[in-house]
Amino acid sequence: MGTPCHFALFELQPSFRLDLDQLATRYRELARGVHPDRFADASEREQRLALEQSASLNEAYQTLKSPPKRARYLLAMGGRELPMEVTVHDPDFLMQQMQWREELEDLQDEADLAGVAVFKRRLKVAQDELNESFAACWDDAAQREQAERLMRRMQFLDKLTYEVRQLEERLDD
Amino acid sequence: MALLQIAEPGQSPQPHQRRLAVGIDLGTTNSLVAALRSGLSEPLPDADGQVILPSAVRYHADRTEVGESARLAASADPLNTVLSVKRLMGRGLSDVKQLGDQLPYRFVGGESHMPFIDTVQGPKSPVEVSADILKVLRQRAETTLGGELVGAVITVPAYFDDAQRQATKDAAKLAGLNVLRLLNEPTAAAVAYGLDQHAEGLVAIYDLGGGTFDISILRLTGGVFEVLATGGDSALGGDDFDHAIAGWMITRAGLSADLDPGAQRKLLQTACAAKEALTDAASVEVSYGSWSAQLTREAFDALIEPMVARSLKACRRAVRDSGIELEDVGAVVMVGGSTRVPRVREAVAEAFGRQPLTEIDPDQVVAIGAAIQADTLAGNKRDGGELLLLDVIPLSLGLETMGGLMEKVIPRNTTIPVARAQDFTTYKDGQTAMMIHVLQGERELISDCRSLARFELRGIPAMVAGAAKIRVTFQVDADGLLSVAARELGSGVEASIQVKPSYGLTDGEIAKMLKDSFQYASDDKVARVLREQQVDAQRLLEAVQGALEADGERLLDAEERLVIDLQMQELAQLMKGTDGYAIEQQTKRLSHVTDAFAARRMNQTVKAALAGRNLNEIEE
Repeated sequence: MGTPCHFALFELQPSFRLDLDQLATRYRELARGVHPDRFADASEREQRLALEQSASLNEAYQTLKSPPKRARYLLAMGGRELPMEVTVHDPDFLMQQMQWREELEDLQDEADLAGVAVFKRRLKVAQDELNESFAACWDDAAQREQAERLMRRMQFLDKLTYEVRQLEERLDD
Repeated sequence: MALLQIAEPGQSPQPHQRRLAVGIDLGTTNSLVAALRSGLSEPLPDADGQVILPSAVRYHADRTEVGESARLAASADPLNTVLSVKRLMGRGLSDVKQLGDQLPYRFVGGESHMPFIDTVQGPKSPVEVSADILKVLRQRAETTLGGELVGAVITVPAYFDDAQRQATKDAAKLAGLNVLRLLNEPTAAAVAYGLDQHAEGLVAIYDLGGGTFDISILRLTGGVFEVLATGGDSALGGDDFDHAIAGWMITRAGLSADLDPGAQRKLLQTACAAKEALTDAASVEVSYGSWSAQLTREAFDALIEPMVARSLKACRRAVRDSGIELEDVGAVVMVGGSTRVPRVREAVAEAFGRQPLTEIDPDQVVAIGAAIQADTLAGNKRDGGELLLLDVIPLSLGLETMGGLMEKVIPRNTTIPVARAQDFTTYKDGQTAMMIHVLQGERELISDCRSLARFELRGIPAMVAGAAKIRVTFQVDADGLLSVAARELGSGVEASIQVKPSYGLTDGEIAKMLKDSFQYASDDKVARVLREQQVDAQRLLEAVQGALEADGERLLDAEERLVIDLQMQELAQLMKGTDGYAIEQQTKRLSHVTDAFAARRMNQTVKAALAGRNLNEIEE
């Protein structure tokens, strides 16, 4: 990761449980200090520095704000190699994935907007539960492998959320 | 929300020490310049008290006319009068050719792929035309404010891609303006409304201009304006309402749809006037020739319904992208002249479940907001309480990968500035070079995305396929402009490019324009005046020479030709000297003896244009 740890940047202890409001407030304070708008009439060197610092601040904020990205970052901090695409042995979840996808396809075929809204709510509940499980699991250093499995599940649900949004867009035509 | 008076305790006693900065709304139809005066942001009027400058430029052989008079001359002199140049900004010759039937100009290719409009004053790029509008605004600001400007904030549609932004920045540079920031128009409008530091919550900015539609969702928190998502339709605007009315007239009056440019223009003007009248009236009489009929607001509403629906669809998408619900939006701000249409206001109110805010003139609100931000950026407030704008990129940025697919590196609605890297590898044994093709857009196929730049990383050490590790880094600055670098991690071989989009200007073209625009003229006034006279003379000589080569044989008899040749020789001789007055006089003389020739050429081109082209859609 090179630069200072994302958590340290926000003066936070590395942890999955985060107060998102507090994170957002800290982000705004920090952005005020380093945003290039602050250096519009400064030297070229300072402007470049502001650009770089703002970019890393934004990257850190985006990472910490999103539960799957935060989980992944925590695992990577612990030194785990985490290729983006892998086949993880998680047969239970594989079944569930297929179910989710099938449902989504049905909703698309039936152009069922109300059904999509229900699906979204269920997805949100599943995400919240998963976040909770990861948080609990992360507190126990012996469960790193399970934590990684949960992180992959979070990534999948995140992708699914994006697909639901695309479906909504198509149905809106 | 009302526009807040910015009181600056401790600073106000010395207004003359203020660093002068302005906000400029460089619009498709109209442009404005605004500045903070006595703590209040307001548009600056010209000598006649007009704040709005129509974005119209007419080129004469020896001078350039900008604004209302140029706009009025558009139908009489279509080839040399450029309207709606914003639509051509950052566009390639091929994009423009697609609009070809609708544009009366003659395009010539430049060194790069940027289209140049062939005018009586020589070829003009859209960047130069925009610069001519900006020069007038800059002049107006310097006269009104009484001093030289430290810089300007120029607004662009949030939906502008990298090429369009770069072109806008080039135009400002060419006009001698220091660009403090390119600011998204909806964000500027939010600033104008939300400067009130107490404003908190989610705000939607609905910006329907002459030619484009933008929607942005922002979160306001203690003076921080955080854009959550932005979207829109770069081909949806009030012009389309005019076309809908014109289409209705054609059908009702049984007119031929194949009208000549003059008739088209007249029809559209009638349509536009009817649209404006329907803002207050329930019904309006429209007539064309001997035909006339009543257009009711109801009928008009029905005509524009598909377009209104399209804009609302973009709103829903932006709301989804923000990860919020429609009900969460606490205020809706209306921007752009087309939001005066009652049906638009009504539809937006229904969609968001609340009355939109319209207190600030929708034509002025963008410039007003830009001026506030310009003042901050120029360093006039340093008490920590100033506003902070956190904007996003409107369209995803990525690279071409195998199979003609676009791989996203930075998704749309990512907060800027941003830097992000992605690793790639070689796909052939012994491969020593890799082509990096930078794209912008949301679609999967590269043919559906905009190509921004291509460059090559050479000198990769020969390895087996898949062994090299090439890291491509994208960096987007606070103006939304992209630069890309590629590096082979093992060997450290590097290549990078400041994305001068395929449609930008080459350095040679920029250098020439800068020269032409006298930016580098010495401060010595006499020397500067002399330079200008020399450049004017040179320009005229080149224009006449070009005209002679093209049409001299055809349109001039031997005696006329001789007179022109002699005056040209005389001018060329004088130009070698330093007698500015003599050069000026001789320039006038040459201009005078070529007047008739220019008029004949004009007639020819106008005739040719009327015969073959269609003026559809170019008018505002």
